[in-house]
Order: sequence, then structure tokens, then C-alpha cells
Amino acid sequence: MKKIFAIAWKDVIVRFASSSELIFFIILPIVFTLLLAGGTPSGDTDNRIRLVVVDQANTSISQEIIAELEKSTAVRPDLLTLEKAESEFDSRRATVVLVIPAGLDLNAIQNGSAQLDMRQQPNNLNASVAQRAVQTAIRRVSSAVNAANKAVEDAKAKSPFASAEAETAYFDEALKLAKSIQEDTPVRVTVVEGNTPEDKVEYEPRANQSAGQLITWVFIPLFGISAVFAYERQQGTLRRILTTPTSKATFLLGTISGEVMMALIQMSLLILFGIFALGLNWGREPFALFILLSSAALAAGAIGTTMGTFIKTEGQASGLSIMMGMVMSLMGGCWYPLELFPPVVQNIVKILPTTWAMQGMLDLILRNGGLVQILPEAGVLLGFAAIFFSIGVMRFRYE
Amino acid sequence: MLKTFLIGIKDLRLAFRDRAALIFMLAAPFALTLGLGLVTGRFSGNSSTGITDIPVVIVNLDNQQLGNALEDLFSSKDLAELVEPVSRSSPEAARQSVDKDEAATAIIIPEGFTQSIIPSQDAFAPGSPQPEVVQIEVYANPSRPTSSGIIKSIVDEFMSQVEEGSVSGQTSILQLMLSGRITPQQAQQAGVEMSQRLEAAPTNNTLAITLNTTTANGEAVKFDVLAFLAPGMALMFLMYTVSYGGRSILAEKSQGTLPRLLVSPTSSTQILGGKVFGIFLTGAAQMLILIGASTLFFQLKWGDTFGIIVLVLAAVFGATGWGMLITAFARTPAQVGSIGTSIMLIFGILGGSFISLEQMPPAIQAISKITPNAWALDGFTTLGLGGTLADLSAPIMALLTMGSILFLISVVLFGKNNLVQK
Repeated sequence: MKKIFAIAWKDVIVRFASSSELIFFIILPIVFTLLLAGGTPSGDTDNRIRLVVVDQANTSISQEIIAELEKSTAVRPDLLTLEKAESEFDSRRATVVLVIPAGLDLNAIQNGSAQLDMRQQPNNLNASVAQRAVQTAIRRVSSAVNAANKAVEDAKAKSPFASAEAETAYFDEALKLAKSIQEDTPVRVTVVEGNTPEDKVEYEPRANQSAGQLITWVFIPLFGISAVFAYERQQGTLRRILTTPTSKATFLLGTISGEVMMALIQMSLLILFGIFALGLNWGREPFALFILLSSAALAAGAIGTTMGTFIKTEGQASGLSIMMGMVMSLMGGCWYPLELFPPVVQNIVKILPTTWAMQGMLDLILRNGGLVQILPEAGVLLGFAAIFFSIGVMRFRYE
Repeated sequence: MLKTFLIGIKDLRLAFRDRAALIFMLAAPFALTLGLGLVTGRFSGNSSTGITDIPVVIVNLDNQQLGNALEDLFSSKDLAELVEPVSRSSPEAARQSVDKDEAATAIIIPEGFTQSIIPSQDAFAPGSPQPEVVQIEVYANPSRPTSSGIIKSIVDEFMSQVEEGSVSGQTSILQLMLSGRITPQQAQQAGVEMSQRLEAAPTNNTLAITLNTTTANGEAVKFDVLAFLAPGMALMFLMYTVSYGGRSILAEKSQGTLPRLLVSPTSSTQILGGKVFGIFLTGAAQMLILIGASTLFFQLKWGDTFGIIVLVLAAVFGATGWGMLITAFARTPAQVGSIGTSIMLIFGILGGSFISLEQMPPAIQAISKITPNAWALDGFTTLGLGGTLADLSAPIMALLTMGSILFLISVVLFGKNNLVQK
């Protein structure tokens, strides 16, 4: 036990011999979490898609369209001049621009010439959602006009109007009535956030980023165990251990437990950052969180151990651990939600430990899960740990 | 000049012989591009948005015109690629599917939903009570906010189509009655006829205001999502390459090869120039190899060839400036390595390699302008959208200016540190 602790402590000293290690241990994870969370609206802010609107018409109809867009649950209209909107669009700072051209008024709708122009960036999901929201808004505005037109037609079918003025007056009355009916229309769709009762879990979009970055930045140094082995092998210290009464298992246990402990400290710091800086509810199920994080750390440490038995130099090991960590995090849904992946890929990435770690974290913070809910993910992660530790121990050589 | 060239070529060879460096220079950006291609559906030929087959559970307890129309909408050809609907009979089972993350959203259409909007004939009888408001429940999965948002917008659009017919019918009948053209008894009959019309065609797809949609640079251009992702990754790891080159200057100094060069009839300017040229050559070679490989393996069309070459050279020049500045500030090769890797990652995220800059707060968008990644990525996207060299004046000028300023600062710092002095 003393030997294991001594080996673990030695690794801590070696790793933090240079203060630059702190950059990767805590500074970069926090910078990444802050920047990515900064690109994700928090639960308190307006997280609707920004829709740049240029109102060249400036009529009551154009203002009604903007008012309807304000009510939308999907988009948030932002009024700009045409020049500013085009500049933002061209520099890709605006996803979608809606231009309400001059001349869009009641007459234009009545005579069927009313048109709106919408410019959207290619391959953009937000632009597609915004298009639906705009269609809904213009339908609501134009439907009152359509209703008034239909009312005039129905009235004409019963008895013709005495004069054009009478017809216009009838249209105006019908339009007012249609708008009032629209106003009184009850809400017929209700949205319920699944399994997140208000008193238990508050939905927070930034939770995804916090969890994802935590996994990314903990997996990378744990894969870096391979660099520790390569370093010791290059320095000849592994050979020297051969001359001492230290078994292979003791050495591996000491190295791995030291790295896993450091990973747990790093995770705790990042969890505290999530709680205090981002206001996330990480502390709801501390025991379940501990089990999940420990399982994830063991899985990553085991993969690092196996990598260490294949890689020859420290340079290669550190390069590969960063590359593997980034690729696995990307594919495991730590950078972008899995829901955006094609269904086939969603299934394929289940072979990665990062996917299971991320799902477990989301179970805890978004799906109101507890220990029972994260047990499958923790089980799979421990399975990864068992398989890769076995391979690592079998393949491990001092020279 | 020849000496400068030879030093540059020597450094280029050394960089491409270092297996560890090759992992960062070529393997990592290629692997990440491959991963991004997979997760965006680029390799599976999905729709332009990347999101498909959203699992939706529909519980239709209404079983009448509107409930059936909504259910049919989700099974329609138009939405076939976007959603994967499954019908259930129990609302509780549907909610559980969402809670278990098996579905993105459950749509629960309650019993009597149609009746609440299209009243039955009896409802028009005098003294009949107003139909009760019945709401559709959209039960959303909090861990799939994008998919849930899309489903909600589809339901909203359906409802607005339904409301349009209902508002139109009510307006017509009430206005006829208010103007005295029909009696309340006739209004009852008209109400029944309106209900029949709505039952026959509950939704109306036509819009009185036409919405013209165009994609950036026109519909004719088909933008390849990988044309944005691949340059993002290549540019991020370009920052590693330039810091690797800077590290070699300090490594040569500590290993004693730099002083040996200085005793030869070679000026310090030639040596420093050669080292910088080596970094520039390595960066350009890295970018061109990655561009060539992604063109070959992923059939990625980067755009105008001449524009690509000029942009690559400008981007490498700007990035080399940063590499030199890092070297000028650092004292040991290890410091250049760790600072270089950190800057590579920070510039990667600030420059838009991980997350589109438009999603970032304005302050971050402004800061991103100090990175060569942001300018070069802008240029690559312009080319990917069909632009040519003529459209690249802003990014190229910015990259050249950035590189020049950083070189000047570095030269001053090198002079102060006596880094390359006889």
C-alpha cells in the first residue's frame, strides 16, 4: 500500500514539475467551458434563434408580422437596416435574414402580390426552423385578411353591395372582427419538458457544454498515462524498478490510481466551476455523480494503460492521447449533442466510453436521474475498464 | 539566399521525419475531419440540415379529423426524412419513451380535440355551451432541445393552418349576421356548413404572402458542410506546426547546433530567415497535403484553385507570425510546446473550428479577429460557396497584416533576447 502511494505521489510530482501542466489541468478546460457555454444561451436568457428582420415597408402589416414573430417560441426578431443585415449575413454573423420589402400592405395581400424575401445560410438547421416560424407568423397575419376577403365574398353571394364604399366598409369591419377572433383564440398547444419537474431539475442548455468539456479534458490526460509509461521507459526508470521488490501489478496500480485520483480532483474542480460560475445543478445527486465520474476515470485510465503498451515515445503518446481524446469526445456527443448525429452514427458511437459517460452525465443533470438511472452507464464504463486493464496488464513490459 | 533556402528545406525534412509531430500535423486534423464528416451526416448523404429521423411518439386519442390530419402530417412524404413517427395508444407509455431517451418528443392529442375546434351540429343549437379548450401536449426531451424545437414548430404550423380555416368561417358568419344579411337561425345552418367544410379540409397550405427563400450566393451553389469543417481543423493544427517550428529554434540553441551554425560564414539574419522559411514551408506543405487528401478521400470541393493557394500562403504567413511571437516569448522548447498547444486549442475555438462564430457573443466575435483561423476560415467558406480570389481581399489583407506586425514584434524581441547572435 505504501509503495502504491509512493508511486502515485511520484507521478503527481513529475506531472506538476512544470507549472504549464496547470494550463491543461484546469485553465484550458475552464476556458473551453466558458467559451462554449458562452455560445449557448443559459436557461434565464432568451434562447430563441436570432432572426434578422429588415422592415422596408414600415406598414401596419409589416409591424403585425414583426409582432407575431416576437410571440414565436422559435425565433427572436432583431430589426436592422438592410445594409447592416447584409453585412452581417455576408460575414456569416447572421444565420437568416427576413426582408419585408417596401409596398407590403393590405392592398398587396388582397391583390396577391405580397412577398417577403428570406435569405438563409446553407446547411443551417436554425435557418430551417426560422423558416417555419416565419411561415407561421405570416399565416397568422394574412389569415385575418383572407378571412375578411372571404367574408366579403360570402356577403356578395347573399346580396350585392350598394357601392364600392359599402364593400370597403364591410371588409374593414370583417377584418377587425377576424383580428378580434384571432386575439381570443385560445392556446391549443402546451409544451412540457420531459421529466424535469421545476423543483427538481431546471433545464439548462449549458449543462451539455459543462458535461462535455469535463469529459473531454479528463479523458485526454488519462489517455496520457501512455506518455507516463513511455517517459519512464525512455528514462530507464522502469528497468530500475525491476531491481526492486516491486511487482508489475503494484507499479501499474500505483501509476493508474495516482492518475485516476488526479482526474477525480480535476473533475471536482470543474464540477465546482459548473455549480458556482454557471449555476448548474451538479450537486443534486453527489453519490451517483461520484460513481459515474469514478467509472469514467477508470475506463479512460485503462485505455491509457493499454495505449502505453503500444506506443514507444513520449512525444507520440502525448500526440495520440490528445488526438484520441478529441476524436472520442467529438464522436461521443461531448461537443455537439448526439441528437444531431445521423441515426446510424448514434448507434455506432455506443462503442465509445465517452458516449456512455456523456449519457450518464445528462441522465443526472437533465433527466432527473439518480443512482439507479446511471447504473447502466457506470456498468458499461467499468466493463471498458476491466477489458482494457486486462489487455494493458497482459501486454505491459518494463523494457 | 541559398543558405536561407537550405536551412528552410532542412527544417521541412526534419518536421516530416518526426512521427510524433506528424500525429498533430496530419493524423489529428484528418481524424477529426473524418469524425465531423460522420457526425454531420456528410458521408451518409443526409439532408442539408444534418438532422434526420427524429423519433416522435404520437398518441392520437382524438381519432377524428384534426387528430388524424396531424398524425398523417407526421407520416407524410414531406417529413419522411426528418421524422420517424411511432404511434402509441397510451400517453404514459409515450412520456416514458421520452424519459428513457428513446424519443425526442411525444405528441399527445387528447380526446375531443377536433370537437373543440370544429363544433358538432348540436353545438350550433341556441343555448349550447361553448366547446371546452382542449390542448395538444408536446412532451419534449430536455436532452434533445433541437429535435424538440423542430417538432414543436411543425405542430405550431399545423395549428396555425387549422386556426386559419376556423377564423375565416367564424368571421364570415358573424359578419353576415351583424350586417343583417342572415338571421341567427340561418347562422346556425351556416355554422354547420362551415364545420362540414373544415371537416373535409381541416388545413390550408396556401399562404396569402409569398415567402421567397434563397440560400447565400444563390440556390445554384450547393455548399458542402465539410468545406467549412475540414479547413477549420486544418487551420487549428496549423497553429501546432508553427509553434513546432519555433520550438526547433530553441531546441537548436540548447542542443548547440545553433551556435555551430553561427560560427560558419552564415549571418544571423540568414539563419533566422531560414528557420522562418522552414516554418512557412512546413505549414504550407501541411495545409496542401490536408487539402489534397480531403479532396481525394472525401471528394471535397474546396473551390477556386488559385484562390486556395493564395489563401493557404496568406494563412500560413499569419500563423507563422504567431509561431515566431510564441518563440520570442518562451525560454525553453518545452515552454513553446505547451504554450503552442494551448494557443492552438484556444485559437481553434475562437476561430470557429469547433463552434460557428455566429453563435458566439459579440465580444468573442471581435476577439476572434486576432486569430488567423477566423480570417482564413472566412476565406475558405467564401471559396466553398463559389467565390474566387477576387472575393478574398479582406481575409488575405488581414492575414498579411497580422503576419507582418507579429514578425516585426518578434524580431525586436529576438534582438533583445540575443537569440540569434554571434
